[in-house]
Amino acid sequence: MMLLLRQIILLTGKDLRIEARSRQTLGLVIVLGILIIVVLGLGLGPEQLTNGASATAALWVAYLFAGVLVFEKTMSVERHDGALASLLLAPIDRSVIYVAKLISNLILMLILALVITPVAVVLFGFDLSAAPWQFVMIMAMSILGFAAVGTLFAAVVSSTRLQGGLLAIVVLPLALPLVIASTQMMIQLFRDGKPIGGTGLTVLLAADVLYLVTSWLVFELILEP
Amino acid sequence: MKQINPIFSGIYWLTTLALLVIGVVMVFAYTPTEVTMGPVQKIFYLHMPIAICTFFSCMVVFIASVGYLWQRKAMWDHLAHAAAQVVVIYAAIVLLTGMIWGRAAWGAWWQWTPRLTFSLVLWLLYVVYLVIRPSIESSQRRAMICAVYGVVAFLDVPLVYLSVRLMPDIHPTSIELEPAMRNTLLFWFIPVTMLTVGLITASFRLAKRQAACNVIRELPMPKSKTPRPLGTPLSSGNRGVV
Repeated sequence: MMLLLRQIILLTGKDLRIEARSRQTLGLVIVLGILIIVVLGLGLGPEQLTNGASATAALWVAYLFAGVLVFEKTMSVERHDGALASLLLAPIDRSVIYVAKLISNLILMLILALVITPVAVVLFGFDLSAAPWQFVMIMAMSILGFAAVGTLFAAVVSSTRLQGGLLAIVVLPLALPLVIASTQMMIQLFRDGKPIGGTGLTVLLAADVLYLVTSWLVFELILEP
Repeated sequence: MKQINPIFSGIYWLTTLALLVIGVVMVFAYTPTEVTMGPVQKIFYLHMPIAICTFFSCMVVFIASVGYLWQRKAMWDHLAHAAAQVVVIYAAIVLLTGMIWGRAAWGAWWQWTPRLTFSLVLWLLYVVYLVIRPSIESSQRRAMICAVYGVVAFLDVPLVYLSVRLMPDIHPTSIELEPAMRNTLLFWFIPVTMLTVGLITASFRLAKRQAACNVIRELPMPKSKTPRPLGTPLSSGNRGVV
């Protein structure tokens, strides 16, 4: 168990070190996220800007597109100089590689969310004071499910010609239950003033478990140098 | 490749067609017109069996995808591809008939109701399955990616169903049917199920033949041993050398 944990920390540390030295992903996705928020804010017009649901929707669009870029970049670094082939030769279980990649992606998504969520809150005049912790919980659960399925398909798609475009096409429809459940819960929470729970939380929890377990099981089969 | 007897195939398709015609006759001659919805309600006899057969086809995609991941046989990939094509066509029919129903019932072609949204997301999930296939060149890689996607997409279906239930609903949850209406609806399940099985089988056989053709196409061409007759032009590839 300790060995597994050490392997996961080592692999995650490697990914984050590459990102800290190259700075090729975070800067790009943060700017993309802010641009999406600004473009949607301008497109929706002043009447829609004070609507809580619009802010959630804009945030989701930013998370989805920036997230796809994060997953693609963290997996594409393994394609350079035969890094993935070397990684596969190492005496490490392939599910450990998946967990490490997932944690790296989650950390990058968290940093992204920490920057673009305040931007959306300010630009859309979204009042979070009614239920800030519920907002954080819903978004965290949604991002976990999204990252789980995104990490799997980034590995699947990275060996093909299209890569980024294909990854977006594959991952976006699979993320729709997360988008629908979380936006409906936000509407209930911030517009109708109802507490969250029941079906919405069940969907998010079920999606997280389903995506994590399926990805963990399938990852071993699909990883190829 | 094992061939299906063409006579059996012909009888199967003729029976399906005959049953569909009988179904249409029953809809217009046997069943009464519904009081509130009028003639538009007759869409229901097509809408519901097609919706059920869509789920059946989704299950075929799932089973075939699991089969491929387990055995890595191209046959499973062909079956999943065939069933996914049927899902896309059927989900589009469900979506369109639902929209026609919605136009008559609510006065708008589209409402963000749970069931319409569910049909739309289901259609999108399997359209993506078909769209990604041609963009992956290697047949083994394509089969692998599509199998993984087929598994995750099927497991996604109950989640989509649950999530859309959070949306406000104006769709009828249960409908009281007269005996004539119920009989017609039950009858329609027979030709639609036969059509589904027939379409999946035909598409599966076509995919197998295409794969066999691709294998033959990729074989190296045998070199011709007969000398080039005098006076015939050189091939374009040799001109630069000469």
